[in-house]
Amino acid sequence: MRIQNAQRVSEAIQALSAGTSLDTLVDRLYDLTDGTLALDRATLHRIARGKTQVARAIDSPEECIRLYFALMILGCERELSVGSIVDEGHAVLAGFVGEPLASLIFRDLAATLPKLTDRNTLKEYLEEGLRVWLPK
Amino acid sequence: MATKVIAGRPRAESHTLRAEEERLRAHLEQRLRVRTRFAPLADVRALLVSPDREDRPKSLVVSSSASVAERIYLYVHVAAHIALGHHLPLVTIVEGAAGVTRFTDASQHREAEELARAIWWGQADKGGLLGAPALVQRSAMLRRLLAVGITRAALRSVLIGMRHAYYDLRIERALARSHLAAWLRDALCLTAVVYVAPQLSD
Repeated sequence: MRIQNAQRVSEAIQALSAGTSLDTLVDRLYDLTDGTLALDRATLHRIARGKTQVARAIDSPEECIRLYFALMILGCERELSVGSIVDEGHAVLAGFVGEPLASLIFRDLAATLPKLTDRNTLKEYLEEGLRVWLPK
Repeated sequence: MATKVIAGRPRAESHTLRAEEERLRAHLEQRLRVRTRFAPLADVRALLVSPDREDRPKSLVVSSSASVAERIYLYVHVAAHIALGHHLPLVTIVEGAAGVTRFTDASQHREAEELARAIWWGQADKGGLLGAPALVQRSAMLRRLLAVGITRAALRSVLIGMRHAYYDLRIERALARSHLAAWLRDALCLTAVVYVAPQLSD
């Protein structure tokens, strides 16, 4: 898969990780996705630094969506504002899969968000969203 | 969706109520493929997350502060949403969000409330597996008493009082297997649920 906007994805990952070291970030992403992320550590580091547009190990939108949910959960854990989490999460997804597909996935969050005022509830929602996209 | 329940009242969580909650939760999982878990949700009562494909299980996250009676109501309400086909792929149904006024949400919520009421009283669910306990489900007397706030509260107090007396008088061994005791247990269970969710009453 070719990342459509590597620079914006990198900025979003850095915003969502809020100062966490890249290695800790990658560990947490593997934890959150139950080891189902096909990207190796080095590639994830390069994506986070905006050094590559190629994420060959990812060959399906599902993997990008899992990464999107996991990064937003990380944003919740780092106690970012709900607005930042949502904006940067959208940027990650759109950067990976392009705006049309990202908007489709994002539609539920956009509709649900006005009903969630609490960051912990948002995190629970995102964890459930991630679980839905984990392989059987 | 904006599910409203009466919270902050003393709980009357009998063994019957807890067993009923477990039975309904198992029914949701086995028949409707809804997996339930509990989490501290501060601003909503429950979230139903539907996956992209029908063959994958749906997830129901229920606020850990919800009482057992409230959980029972939420299960029946969620079952009504599913029966009405509101669980579209990748759509999340939020229960109990304050101040949500979207027309489609309000309309779907109203439909689900009506169907939940019919399910609860055994009018819309074959075999009545999702409804109120079978012994009291068709009781016109209970239904009438639960329809009005004052008689609902009075009935609950009377049934709790009878439960106290039942144990204080140490007659439970003699009556434990009687039809009367079973009826009273189920009546208290039904009353406890309608007490926290009066929308289940007429």
